[in-house]
Parts: sequence; structure tokens; C-alpha cells
Amino acid sequence: MEGGYGNRGSSFSQSRRGRGRGRGQRFPSNQSKVSSFAERGTPSSSSANRASASVISNTQEDDAQPSSNFVGTCPYMCPERERIQREKLRDLAIFERLHGNPGKSSPALAVKKFCRTISTKYVQASDMRPITVLEDTLNYLLSLLESKEHLFEVVHDFVFDRTRSIRQDITMQNIVNKKAIYMYEGMVKFHVVSHYKLWCSMSDPNTASLHHLNMEQLTKTLASLFNLYEANQNSNHVHENEAEFHSLYVLLHLGSYSQPMGEPLSLWFQRVSTPVLKSKEMCFARRILRSFRLGNYKDFFCTAAAQASYLQFCIMMPYINEVRVLALSCINFGGYKLHPYPLLDLSKLLFIKESDLESFCNHCGLETGTDESGNKLLPTKQTTFSHPKGGFQRYSFLGLQEYER
Amino acid sequence: MSMGEAHRRITEYLNRFSDAISSQDGATFKSLFALSSNSPFLLSLGDALNLFQDPNRLIKQSDNYSQFADILVPLFRSLLNYRQNNLLEAYNAFEKTANAFIQEFRNWESAWALEALYVIVYDIRVLAEKADKELASNGKSPEKLKGAGSVLMKFFGTLAGKGSKRVGALYVTCQLFKIYFKLGTVHLCRSVIRSIETARIFDFEEFPKRDKVTYMYYTGRLEVFNENFPAADYKLSYALKHCNPQSEANIRMILKHLIPVKLSIGILPKNSLLEKYNLLEYSKIVQALRRGDLRLLRCALQDHEDRFLRSGVYLVLEKLELQVYQRLVKKIYIIQKQKDPGRAHQVKLEVIVKALKWLEIDMDVDEVECIVAILIYKNLMKGYFAHKSKVVVLSKQDPFPKLNGKPVNS
Repeated sequence: MEGGYGNRGSSFSQSRRGRGRGRGQRFPSNQSKVSSFAERGTPSSSSANRASASVISNTQEDDAQPSSNFVGTCPYMCPERERIQREKLRDLAIFERLHGNPGKSSPALAVKKFCRTISTKYVQASDMRPITVLEDTLNYLLSLLESKEHLFEVVHDFVFDRTRSIRQDITMQNIVNKKAIYMYEGMVKFHVVSHYKLWCSMSDPNTASLHHLNMEQLTKTLASLFNLYEANQNSNHVHENEAEFHSLYVLLHLGSYSQPMGEPLSLWFQRVSTPVLKSKEMCFARRILRSFRLGNYKDFFCTAAAQASYLQFCIMMPYINEVRVLALSCINFGGYKLHPYPLLDLSKLLFIKESDLESFCNHCGLETGTDESGNKLLPTKQTTFSHPKGGFQRYSFLGLQEYER
Repeated sequence: MSMGEAHRRITEYLNRFSDAISSQDGATFKSLFALSSNSPFLLSLGDALNLFQDPNRLIKQSDNYSQFADILVPLFRSLLNYRQNNLLEAYNAFEKTANAFIQEFRNWESAWALEALYVIVYDIRVLAEKADKELASNGKSPEKLKGAGSVLMKFFGTLAGKGSKRVGALYVTCQLFKIYFKLGTVHLCRSVIRSIETARIFDFEEFPKRDKVTYMYYTGRLEVFNENFPAADYKLSYALKHCNPQSEANIRMILKHLIPVKLSIGILPKNSLLEKYNLLEYSKIVQALRRGDLRLLRCALQDHEDRFLRSGVYLVLEKLELQVYQRLVKKIYIIQKQKDPGRAHQVKLEVIVKALKWLEIDMDVDEVECIVAILIYKNLMKGYFAHKSKVVVLSKQDPFPKLNGKPVNS
């Protein structure tokens, strides 16, 4: 089950301009070393231990009580006991049904469900999956996202729940090594990509609530990932994807005064290590943030189009229209009344198709016109400008179309 | 130290303890809890406890002491461990003492023991920080400071009601702020603030001055995070005004956050102030604002990036860029006015591009148009821009409105 991680060209391994986004998707070849990383009790592992606890304190979502020496023995994606019980109760997700039979599953299909109230007291080793099984399980789940057979929302629902249960198993076994990092990175990616995909179909109110729940898990998983980085930190070494995942955190703050993590960004910056702050990915995110906060839409769009990675794009996309609205209101407010603004010029500025721009303007309560040679124009100083309520239809971002589908 | 001497010291401590309570002698009482003050009296008591195997027997000997056993037994244990540098154990025991203390405190009608409460509140935070350091160095999760926060919330709850004890609530609040800022959980400040600020029965001004200053400092910083500059200005200025003029370190701390706020509302400090309080990291930024020198602003931000990020003002300073652009266009306007007053109010975008190029800032005419559009939109500039002729036409009246203590429009 090497599936999900190895599949190039999927949305999960999309790399761009040779920036090596794909590299992080494969576990490194020195796997055996990695597994001994978090051995307890030896002085050299103290940093790993320290953060193990803080990781756990941050994943209380899963109500798991950490137990330092608990190691699972369950060889399957789903403990046998649970599978049999759920077969009996006909509590099987579509992906778990053998030949579509709602009362029959198999070890290759059933995946352990997330269960809110679990305490180690009542957990048997046979209910807990060891790290290698968890890795396979995650790869299997992520590979499902490539399936074209089902609606994305359906797959998302399944993967959302089952990855939560993976995190619970990781937490309860107190796994804080590099393998845990790779798995958390994979799960954060899942939530980031879902963040974009669900946003694309936000017009459906059901999706809107899924989007919200996804965001909740995205922020929690990201916070846990940061704790894992910290736990595996040594001096000035930065993990391969550490900078990019930190940049996502910054980009999540693009909304006006939004604090998705419940903490002011300024306070968070105080704790970020210098090598991460200086990284290329963070410089990008900070530049985007600066342009956004200044209202410099020109720099915002140019920088985004030139440098955004796929994951960064997924986080930023929902804010793109917000910046376009700002640009429109600035131009409408300050533009010379006798010189209507050519839509062609404006569309280049906003990285939007000219035809889309026309509908975008209308959506903001602005009328568009045409000059004698047929060029489309936006008359300025219109008093009818209004912030569109209830969002937009989707408009392409021309710099990064290859990311959109 | 002989066994007899140890015995004597412990008994002396117990006597002072029960005497202080029976005579409601707050000053003596408070000195009995101040672990981290390292007073000779408590240190020698620690040594005595180390020697004397069973101090609890002494506590049980007399009703005067034994009725406070819940406070005293863990307090002795804490003191002993503190003396032996077992900081985790010292904290755990002290937490028990604190919980027992607040039980008693609740039953005392007057606020006579408030000073002792302050000492406990302070020490529980300091001990928790030390315990967390010890935990971290042993590879364990540092969680005691968080725990101390919960204990202090209990203290706060006891004080926050009406009556004479309420005067102590602000001190506890300030210690809670210190914990939350350290842990990065400042959202927890909100409920405490609400309780302080909405209380009708107690006028804020009646709290002790020192606590008011600390409170205004922290809540002012929170307002800086929210970029609510008028409120931040009010709170930090209050702290500055009422702060002890002798304590330069505190004044400096307040200014560190107040200066970015003042800059954001268009008020620039004199250089002598920056020199006096050794805040020279701001002098280039102020200069950049005076000169309209974008390069200088960006250099200053880069040179002191770490410092500004660590003190949490970086993002605020970064936003000053708009004011620097405003100043730059204004300077161009002034120069044009000297040359040709009749046409000074028309500024070609190319001229701005050129000025930026002198500053080694590479911006094309589209981006300059964008900047101009924002300046107009945010009322930092009055006029309009013409996209076709690439020119900005400034209003003849007050083309560059001053902020005058108001934030830039958002």
C-alpha cells in the first residue's frame, strides 16, 4: 500500500517549477534509524520526550490520555473486533463494503473509526495500530482521494474521520519521531487541499459546514505538526517542509483580522525560529501578508502568481477575490471620472479573464461599458459599489491555473 | 545546626504564623510565604526542616497550628524542596498551600491578609516557571505554569466579587496576564478583562496604582495586537503617565510598544526621547517617515527584524509604509511647487517611479498607480489619478491630510 504518497501528479504530490514539493512525499531511506529516534529514557532523546508531552497536550481534541510505553499490535487498518462489530451493526462506509455489501467488509477495506472518548485504561494493544500499520493506513486513505468514482465530499468525509483516528493512535502511543512528522505533514496537506476544494463548492450550505469543520482540523493538525517539529529540533536544522508549513500558518491570517488559531499573529511570530523566518517560503508568505495589509494589490497578485506553491495557493485562493474587491473599490474611488478604466488593463492587474472581470464588476454593483472601438471599460466614481454578500462564483486566477481543477 | 536549634526555629515560625493570624498582622503574615524572596529567616527554616525529620508532629502539637495544617504541611514540604532545589516538588506542594490558603482567606471577613495573598500569587507563578524549566530539562512536558494559571483563576474568583477584597483582584489579573503572555494564550485574558471592566460596583481608579499601570500596559499590548490604535494609545499612555518615573526600565518597556502606536497615528517622537530611553532602533524609522524614504524604512525593519518580531510590533511598523509613500509624494509636490506653482498639483506617476528608483526601489508605473489609488482610498491623499495619462491630480485644498492622532482608514 505505497499508494498515496508515491502517486505523482496527484493533487497531493503536485510539485511546481522543480521546487521539490514532491520530495517530502517519500519517506527517507534511513527509515530504520528513524524508528529508534524516540526511544525513551536515554539522555539523548530528551528533546523528543519533552515535546511528546506538549504534542499531546495539543491534541486533546482526541481525548487521548498519553501512555508512554503503549505499543499497539493491531496488524490491520481496523482492529478485528471493531470490524466484526461494525459489520454486525451495518455501520460501514461506502469504501469499506465488500462488493457493496453493507454488512460485509474485509481487512483490506475497513479502517478504524474515530472514537471520541477513549482512555488508555480500556484500550487493548490489539486495538491500537503500530506506526508501520498507521503509515500504510494513511497512504491507503490518501490514495482514495484520487478516486474519480465518488464525489469529493464523500471521500473527504471518510478520510476526515479516519485520519482523525490515526492521529488518536499516534497520540496514545506517544509517537513523536520523524515518521510522525511525515504523517502529520500528509494529513495537513489533506486538510489544506480540502480547504480549497470545499471552498470551490461553498455555494452548497452543507459544504460550508464541512469547510468549517475541515478548517478546525486543519488548524489543530498544523499546531500539532509544529509541536512535532519542535520536538525533533536540533540546533539550526530545519526540517525539509518545516518552512512551507509555517508559511501556511501565516497565509491563514490573510482575512481581515482573522485569527483562525485564536492567537494574534504577532505573538506567534515571537516564537518562530530564525532559520524558518528567513526561509524562502516564509519570505513569500510575509511578503504576501504585507501586500495584503497595505492593500498593494499589484504586488500581491504578482508575487502570488510568481511564487506560490500548490499548498500556498490552496490557502490563498479564498482571499484572492477579497483583494480584487479592494482593488476595484480603490480604482472606482480614486480614478479620473472622464477616463474609464480599460477592463483589459485591469484584468491583467488582477490576473482574471476579461470576461470574468466583467461579471465580477457587476457582482460588486459596478456597471461596465464599451468604447467606440469595442474595448470594454469600467467607468469610475460609480456610487453603486457594494461589497458582495454571500461570496462569488469561482473566477480563475490566471497566474496559477495549473493548480485549479 | 543542632537538633534543638532546628526545633526552635520551626516552633518560632509556627508561633509567628498563628500570632499573625490571631492579631491579623498582615506584614508579618506575608513574610512567612515569600519563598522566592530567599529571606534569611525562611532559608534557615528550610535548613531546620531538612534536619528535623518530622515537622508535621510539631504542627499537630497545638491546636493553634493544627487548624492550619492544610496550609502548613505542604508549605513546609515546599520550603524544604525549594531549599534542596527540587523545584517541581516545591511547586506541587506550594500549589496545595495556595489552595488551602484561599479557602481560609474566603472565610476571613476583612482583607487583612491581602499582602500575604499577593506574595502567594507572585510566588506560585515564579515557582511554576522554575518547575517548568526543571521539567523541560528532564524531557518532560512543562505544564505547571498553565496549572498556576488555573489556581490564580480561583484566586481571582474569590476576589472579584464585591467587598473590601476586590481591591486585590487587579494584582491577580496582572499575574495572570504575565502567565498568558508567556504561554501564548492571550485569548484567556478576555474573560478576566471583561470582569474588571464591566464591574459597576468598583471604580477602576480605586485599584492600587502599581496594578493599574501593569494592567494598562498589558491590555495596551493586546490592543496593539488587534491594531486598535486609539485604545492602545489610551492604555499605554495611561501606563506611561502613572508609571513610577524612577523606574526607567518600565518606562522603556511601555515606550517600546507606545512608540509604534503613536507612529501609526501620525505622531513622531523627538530623537532625544529615543536616546534617553535607548530606543534607537526606532530612530531610522522615524527618520524614514520624516523624509519619505522607503528604503530607509525597509532597511530599519530588516536591521532590527528580530527585535521587532520578538516584541510583537513588527507588523505594525511594516504598515507605516503607506505614510512613507504619502510623505514621498508630498515632497515631490513641494519641489514642483517651488518650480512651477501653477502645475504643482499634477504629479506624473513616472516621477514617483523615478524617485523610488533613486532609492533603489524597483516599482513599475502600474504598482505606483496602485499605491496612489490606495493612498487616495485611505484618505492619505486627496485627488484622483488618471490611468490613461499616468498622472495623479492632487486636490488644491489639503492634498495630504494629516492623521492628527487618528489611525489610517482601513
